[in-house]
Amino acid sequence: MNISLLLAANSIAFGGLLFLLSAGFSLIFGLMRIPNLTHGSLFMLGAYFGVSLIALGLGFWPAAIVAAFGVAVFGGLVERLLLRRLPGAELAQVLVTLGLSFMIADFSLMWWGGDPISIDTPRALRGATFVAGLGFPTYRIAVIMIAVIVAAALWALLDWTRLGAMIRAGVDDPEMARIVGIRVSRLFTIVFSLGAGLAGFAGVIGGPILSVYPGLDQDMLPLALVVVILGGSGSLIGSFIGSFVVAFLYNFGQAMLPELAYVVLFLPMLVVLVVRPEGLFGRAAP
Amino acid sequence: MASEALLLADIDAFFADSHVLHRVSFRCGEGRLLGLLGRNGAGKTTSMNVTVGVLPPRRGRVEIYGAAVAGRSPEAIAAQGVALVPQGRRIFRSLSVRENLAVAARKPRGGLPLLWTLDTVFATFPRLQERRDQYAGTLSGGEQQMLAIGRALMSNPRVLLMDEPSEGLAPQIVAEVMATIRRLKEQGLSIVLVEQNAKLVFDVADDIVILNSGRVVIDATAAELKSAGTDLHQHLGIY
Repeated sequence: MNISLLLAANSIAFGGLLFLLSAGFSLIFGLMRIPNLTHGSLFMLGAYFGVSLIALGLGFWPAAIVAAFGVAVFGGLVERLLLRRLPGAELAQVLVTLGLSFMIADFSLMWWGGDPISIDTPRALRGATFVAGLGFPTYRIAVIMIAVIVAAALWALLDWTRLGAMIRAGVDDPEMARIVGIRVSRLFTIVFSLGAGLAGFAGVIGGPILSVYPGLDQDMLPLALVVVILGGSGSLIGSFIGSFVVAFLYNFGQAMLPELAYVVLFLPMLVVLVVRPEGLFGRAAP
Repeated sequence: MASEALLLADIDAFFADSHVLHRVSFRCGEGRLLGLLGRNGAGKTTSMNVTVGVLPPRRGRVEIYGAAVAGRSPEAIAAQGVALVPQGRRIFRSLSVRENLAVAARKPRGGLPLLWTLDTVFATFPRLQERRDQYAGTLSGGEQQMLAIGRALMSNPRVLLMDEPSEGLAPQIVAEVMATIRRLKEQGLSIVLVEQNAKLVFDVADDIVILNSGRVVIDATAAELKSAGTDLHQHLGIY
């Protein structure tokens, strides 16, 4: 099989994973203006939770869901107990979330050790599926499908439900939303938990592809950052398309210019930041 | 004294270090329309911000039908049946017209019949119905004002605060807004109407309070002021 076709297939699957990771990052950053630097740690934490749950005898999918739930609760606590006290103080938020990510890294190293741990691909999704005479790893096709389903569900939640409209109202004008009677602070906790839970879920789903290791958090966080800056914060469609763009840049960059993989990844981000700071799909700040 | 829909008593309020309301007291009786007048910077909007809980007063009482609400959150005060049509309208621009109304929907307190729903608001403001799926940010100024009023009504309030609803609108639209206010008053809603334009207010108000430099300088019924021929220009400037 042609090497670039293989790379492309892997990029699409990795893009799906990146979307699961960065959708939450984008929601939290776009809606709440919180640059959540623990997001990579939440991904890693989800993966480690998954490892432990599977070791306890849970199946892969139940483990992924329970881990997502656990990370969502953790995220909700972080928002309620720490970030809640720092409204609008972006520098303080950066420092708190960065510090927390180092703490999570230390804790994870102590609890799960320093060796990479792989998560087995669910039995039903091993092997390859043949599409147009070409074999693709079945699990990676499943990851793409999950990403598409999650994207559709998030879009429906935000655009079609009253809860979604309340969240958007809270972003448009938080003070007015409160005057209207919307409990904005509770909505923000929900959004933060949801974003954290998605990151944790992505960690488990990514396990069979990436495995889990110390430093996974710091590998994933920059990717989420680039996705959100390229796509535009708060824009779901931006995160979706940005995820695949970044996945392609990352995979092809590593394969073809391995010494410059990060240049290939970050240069487009710099250009976008300078030329169109609101991102390709973001709204300009009012 | 359950007949007081809204009571502010001895309110002191500050923006950072600047003292903007000095022992402000006024009341709006149930089913009455209170006109709150004053120059720019007299403290009218600040009084509204205190009432809805955005600016907690440093001292004094705010009561809604006898329930003390000073210092409580805006959400909690909204739940007491207070709705605000804010200065500058402040509709949610990236929400559709229908969503702007839907997010504010609330049942009336105490099991009263549901007066305001999407359907009744649309019946009152047919223009909003025509534009129900449009983003609110694309509406004209007059339509945005209708939407801001409709949004406030969706919470089925007991007390409606309106902060300069005529601001920046063409005379014909102002007349429409005033007609709407009259209808709401006839339905028995207690209303506080903040205005710079004294003439508009005297046409509809039962009671008048005039603020000057953060102090109440006149508190009387509209009829008293009219018959006394009080010279209001010193408090209001000339219109």
